[in-house]
Amino acid sequence: MRLELGNIFIKDMQFGEATKVENGVLYINKKELLEAVGGDNRIASIEVDIAKPGEETRIMPVKDVIEPRVKVEGPGGIFPGFISKVDVVGSGKTHVLKGAAVVTAGKIVGFQEGIIDMSGPGAEYTPFSKTNNLVLVCTPVDNLPQHEHEQAVRLIGLKAAAYIGEAGRNVKPDEVKVYETLPLFEGAKKYPDLPKVAYVYMLQTQGLLHDTYVYGVDAKRIVPTLIYPTEVMDGAIVSGNCVSACDKNPTYNHLNNPIIEDLYERHGKDYNFVGVIITNENVTLADKERSSNWTAKLAEYLGLDAVIISEEGFGNPDTDLMMNCKKITAKGIKTVLVTDEYAGRDGASQSLADADKAADAVVTAGNANEIIELPPMKKVIGDLKPADVIAGGFAGSLKPDGSIVAELQVITGATSEIGFNKLSATQF
Amino acid sequence: MINLTKNIQIITNNVRVCESFNENFNVIYVDGGYLDVLYAVRDRIHIGSILISHPLMGSIKPNETPFRSVVIEEKNGPVDYQSLAIIESSIESCKKLLKDRSTPDWTEKVLEDFRFLDIRLLESALGSLM
Repeated sequence: MRLELGNIFIKDMQFGEATKVENGVLYINKKELLEAVGGDNRIASIEVDIAKPGEETRIMPVKDVIEPRVKVEGPGGIFPGFISKVDVVGSGKTHVLKGAAVVTAGKIVGFQEGIIDMSGPGAEYTPFSKTNNLVLVCTPVDNLPQHEHEQAVRLIGLKAAAYIGEAGRNVKPDEVKVYETLPLFEGAKKYPDLPKVAYVYMLQTQGLLHDTYVYGVDAKRIVPTLIYPTEVMDGAIVSGNCVSACDKNPTYNHLNNPIIEDLYERHGKDYNFVGVIITNENVTLADKERSSNWTAKLAEYLGLDAVIISEEGFGNPDTDLMMNCKKITAKGIKTVLVTDEYAGRDGASQSLADADKAADAVVTAGNANEIIELPPMKKVIGDLKPADVIAGGFAGSLKPDGSIVAELQVITGATSEIGFNKLSATQF
Repeated sequence: MINLTKNIQIITNNVRVCESFNENFNVIYVDGGYLDVLYAVRDRIHIGSILISHPLMGSIKPNETPFRSVVIEEKNGPVDYQSLAIIESSIESCKKLLKDRSTPDWTEKVLEDFRFLDIRLLESALGSLM
């Protein structure tokens, strides 16, 4: 399966007469956009705003971030199972509005959603301070159940990204990257001497507001399976996860998964990157045992020499991570884990809620308990009040001047467990 | 179908769970905090019960939500060491986070959100047994 990703660099985003890309500027017709995303009677109003890098703007509470993409050649369309039919995606050509993002915001439950600062110290912790963000603040009708609210906002975000992505359909990309994965036996024949490596991609699936979708299917209902890495780049995996802003994977991160991109970088040189095993993180131990048995079975079946395993979330998924690590290692396959830490404010406590001696190669994306101070911003898109109640905020965290003292876990994407961030840790 | 050969028990400090599940399940109400629920679960594991749901289910931290419901299979017999290891690690994680910051004094609206979320996570666990 071969995919050409055509990146169109977006330097600026403005509202305009027509939705189009011209000289690196993305113009958006607000009325057309609202027509494209509106019509859900569960949502009372949608406010649209733009936040640009360097501005003194705070966006909160943030639900999801989505990159606008459009499929220009090959089967299927972007976000299969939601926006497009369920044709297999991941081949042909896809255009990406690189530097633009859709951010959905609004309080869904009384806690958990995240913060994006476009400048200042908070901006250093989130990748979404570097993108031109189209922010949609969605207000539900009264008494809408939280799961319906989440679903409505999830769909609005995907529709907005698909609508804007269309603006890149006939634009010549500034850069084209090609990613290709051969069918298993062909790949093994082409690279007979290279070690076979795969990626075990753990998806958050614990239940309400902790969900991830694969081709529209709630991933808690799957057994682990195989997916071509390029399918992920076309939106086969969509986030419905509202919980734990710092280490959840927004849809943007799934589309740009750096583990997949980096594995491709040295594919065919140092190793043969054979593909991705997706698995889930359910709440019962029987589900965890079943799914980790399956990842280990698939890893063995593929004849792998090594895997990289990433998790999503805190606590309960640590057990899935360790089960995957232990069982895959027991098959004689080397494992490297990617996670973040809840090591207490001083960083001295046990980082994960589970451990195993097989987990001897671990990459950390930072300590989510670290305290940070975010200065006031001139403009707030959304609502500041949830600062006291989102994860990592605490009573009194919102000061009268609008500054916020909180744990790092309030920042969207700060400790991304697929490494879509800048933090890590080293030992001295 | 729920496996009727198993004696499913829900240990909880969430009154909404008692209201919703009391008819069909053996619900044990713990009048205490998150950590107290974990201690009650540990005590039962010590005499042979087995964990069915992970004690830290949901990514909401133990010092954020005051509510916790854990599903176990009630048994008397030898200790299940996997269950014991998981409950002990969960208690350690819970204590670590509570040491830095205790659970805030939430408004009733937020508390109701947490009760609701706890119920839905519990349903997700019970759904897996069907």
